[in-house]
Amino acid sequence: MNTALVQAALPTARAIRWAPAVCLAGVLVAATVLARSAGRPADVVLAIAAAGLAATVVSGLHDPAAGLLSAVPVSLMQRRGLRLALLGLPVLAVWFLLDSLTTARLSGPGPLLAVMACGVAVAVWAPQRRAVVLGASTPVVLFALHQFLPGGTVSDVLGWWLTEPWWVLAAATLLCIAGRRR
Amino acid sequence: MSTTTARPVSAGSAPATVTRALVVTEARRMLRNPVPWACLALSVWALWTVRPEPGEWPGSSYESIVPAVTPLLFGISVAVAVPFHRARHDVAPAAPVPEVRRTLARLLAALPLVAMTVAYAVLVAWRERDLGGLWLGMEPGRTTEAFHTTAELSQLVVLALVAVALGAALGRRTSRLVALVPALFVLWFVVSVYWLFGMPSVTPFSVIQVQPVHLPAGTPATDPLSLPSDWLLVGSPHTTGGGWERQWVSAALAWWHDVWLLGIAALLLAVAWPRPGRRVLLAAGVVLAVAGVVGQQVVIP
Repeated sequence: MNTALVQAALPTARAIRWAPAVCLAGVLVAATVLARSAGRPADVVLAIAAAGLAATVVSGLHDPAAGLLSAVPVSLMQRRGLRLALLGLPVLAVWFLLDSLTTARLSGPGPLLAVMACGVAVAVWAPQRRAVVLGASTPVVLFALHQFLPGGTVSDVLGWWLTEPWWVLAAATLLCIAGRRR
Repeated sequence: MSTTTARPVSAGSAPATVTRALVVTEARRMLRNPVPWACLALSVWALWTVRPEPGEWPGSSYESIVPAVTPLLFGISVAVAVPFHRARHDVAPAAPVPEVRRTLARLLAALPLVAMTVAYAVLVAWRERDLGGLWLGMEPGRTTEAFHTTAELSQLVVLALVAVALGAALGRRTSRLVALVPALFVLWFVVSVYWLFGMPSVTPFSVIQVQPVHLPAGTPATDPLSLPSDWLLVGSPHTTGGGWERQWVSAALAWWHDVWLLGIAALLLAVAWPRPGRRVLLAAGVVLAVAGVVGQQVVIP
């Protein structure tokens, strides 16, 4: 493993703002507990959780010191990967907690990973000035359009991250790899 | 010879002029933001897709109308959060206009977004009448001409005030603007899952309150014709346990819920407001929130 990345892990973890993610996880756990007590399937709560947690991870790509770090011999994609790993692992733990609290049909980390990869792909390919905002907004837009558009081809395609998550994950990962030098 | 005389400027009018100029500038910026407009389009689209259909869950169309406003509320919060986040920049404290006045100007600039919600509420009322009413209950306690009361529609406008206050609070206190997207999304879309807050014990604390509230009316053995004829009823297979439930709609509950929401808005504004005046907002928020919850608890049978 790249020694520079290992050394950068702790300062990067300190630079990440954890409070919004922790508050958001608290809200999602409370909602899931309410759904459990209501005794109804919580698919929509889990879908909101997947999109919200994915947007949180992608928003963690925002690095105020990006300009300063552009001179160091660690590529931008490696630094992105480090941030994604630091935020993604606790978010996955939260997801498994939420999943275990519900009896929803939507199960497993597939939707979360798929929509997260979509957000990262947009952040990689979007114009640099608004890359992270657009990337973080992608899971939100995908969820909202799938939720409110009437059933049809467009709605089905927008819902692939829920119905065919592993294919979406693969496609978005390929896009990220293709844009690794951006 | 002609003389030119300048009208003397009174000490009190100068700040008012400055505030007005700030309001106009901030309002233009907020209205140029595409997010609330896109979200308004989504809300109107969601509203238009709601129509009563044979075989629907009793009251499904009636319950789906109010949560359709969620994208609009999210858009309003995002549009308000941006200028409030700008106030965190170091240059702002050195500006010649005091922070209280700048905060007030930003809040006043958000009023067009509240007006947008008023127009949306009017559209909801018109749409329901265009459909000829929505359906509530099942035989023998059923209506096909249910309209949301003025009290229930007023909730949409008060929710817009909460959206403004939430955007202001998060925008002012969150260090990174990009973190607001997931935060606002989760907060608004979780509270839009109305059945999470449907139980009579939980509904006073809900944010988006969706009526009717389901109250127990009888056991599976109860003859529904023995129940009061003006009750809207739901029975097996739509109830847990197969008993009869009453679908209860109350304007009084909706008004008290508005009071609770105003309390939440005041508490959120206190988070965004500069130190002078914050305690007043906190006190007003607590009083309104407590009064709203107590009022709702008293009204629910």
